[in-house]
Amino acid sequence: MLRQAPLHLSIMIIVLVAATATACTTGSAPRMVGTGDVVADRQRVMKLQGEQMTDIQNKIKADNIEGIATNAEVLAITSMQITSLFPEGSLTDKSNAKPEIWVRWGEFEATAKNMTIWSERLRDAAKNKDQKAVADVLKDYGRATCVSCHDTFRKPLPRS
Amino acid sequence: MTSAIVAVLLLLGSSAVATAADPAQLARGKYIFGATGGCGCHTEPKGVVNAGGRKFDGPFGTVYASNITPDTKTGIGGWTDEQIITAIRLGRRPNGERILPVHPFTSFNGMAEDDLTALVAFLRSVPPANRTNTPKKISIPMFESVFLPAWLITFASKETPPPAAPVSGVARGEYLVRAVGHCGECHTPRSAVTMAVDNSRLLAGNSKKTGPEGQAAPNITPDKGTGIGDWTEEQIATYLGTGNRPDGDVAGGLMGESIQGTLAGYRDMTQADRQAIARYLKSIPAVKNKIE
Repeated sequence: MLRQAPLHLSIMIIVLVAATATACTTGSAPRMVGTGDVVADRQRVMKLQGEQMTDIQNKIKADNIEGIATNAEVLAITSMQITSLFPEGSLTDKSNAKPEIWVRWGEFEATAKNMTIWSERLRDAAKNKDQKAVADVLKDYGRATCVSCHDTFRKPLPRS
Repeated sequence: MTSAIVAVLLLLGSSAVATAADPAQLARGKYIFGATGGCGCHTEPKGVVNAGGRKFDGPFGTVYASNITPDTKTGIGGWTDEQIITAIRLGRRPNGERILPVHPFTSFNGMAEDDLTALVAFLRSVPPANRTNTPKKISIPMFESVFLPAWLITFASKETPPPAAPVSGVARGEYLVRAVGHCGECHTPRSAVTMAVDNSRLLAGNSKKTGPEGQAAPNITPDKGTGIGDWTEEQIATYLGTGNRPDGDVAGGLMGESIQGTLAGYRDMTQADRQAIARYLKSIPAVKNKIE
């Protein structure tokens, strides 16, 4: 009995370690709560992000600098969800994602993190009603965030 | 006496190669440079501006963009203003070699003399870079002697330069689109066999097969189903100035590069010029052409 107990314990520990190691090496974060259709979920998030960008442009024209902070915060929070929306095995025919995401996961993660940083910078500038700072961020925001990811990790979209 | 003659000749020679440009001329030149998209073809991604080397693969072979910095050994520093303008407008080097494929001289031929002169002044002001041009690798036999002259006669209709650059309205927009911005080089359909541009479907787009550097170029005619007919003039002007599309996405790829530019890009054009472009794009015939 005393000899069997350590054996069972050892087996349990080995199984737990193996499971943890597998989870750590798959290159994806724990999945965000969503509808269960992760491709649809992430396309909704991207659409929402695009709507923030359009709203930002409208607020610039309306001289509503402070109002941009809300959009920037949405961009920041949704960018934090990006990696959880791209679990391994989620490349379907409905997805525009490229397999490079999972081959260059570290770079993909860094690009998402970069969007968070830029969005927070924009949010803070807008909260401070600093028109020049907002303009400075927005001048390069699209290229530094959306484009830097899309050019590498998204298939070119059919455009009109 | 001999030394005096030599001194005079040297003085005349040097003034033909490089003349000091005034600030207004340089500013105009930089503006035109930006309106071309920053001459981005001549800059490798993350490379030295205008130093050349960018690779272009095509049905005729592989070519590499030239060094257009004012370096006297490897760039255009030793060329006269007239030689540089001939290269831009007619696609010929001082030694007679044609700068083809790729160099869009048929579009640039539509640029006004004043704009070209200012552009040359600006090109001379960019820091020189020592980078020897890479020779092109053409797969077609007798390319320079037979094929190219025949192709040019058959397929290469050139834009006509105006006496002076239009300053406003649709005419300004047309000038910026067809000549300076050379939009048709990417956005007007090309034959997959001859790579000739089909101006009867002006700006109706190219698939990846015939598009620039293997990228699709959208239909930018005002067709509602397949072009930008649903975009307002303001949205077009905003897009050119920021890269922001009406759906919130952002221009990437080659268009993103052209908007961003190098030392200047499309985004540095004035609101008035971007609106003129938008007005022109809305005025051309709508062509149904779905680009996948």
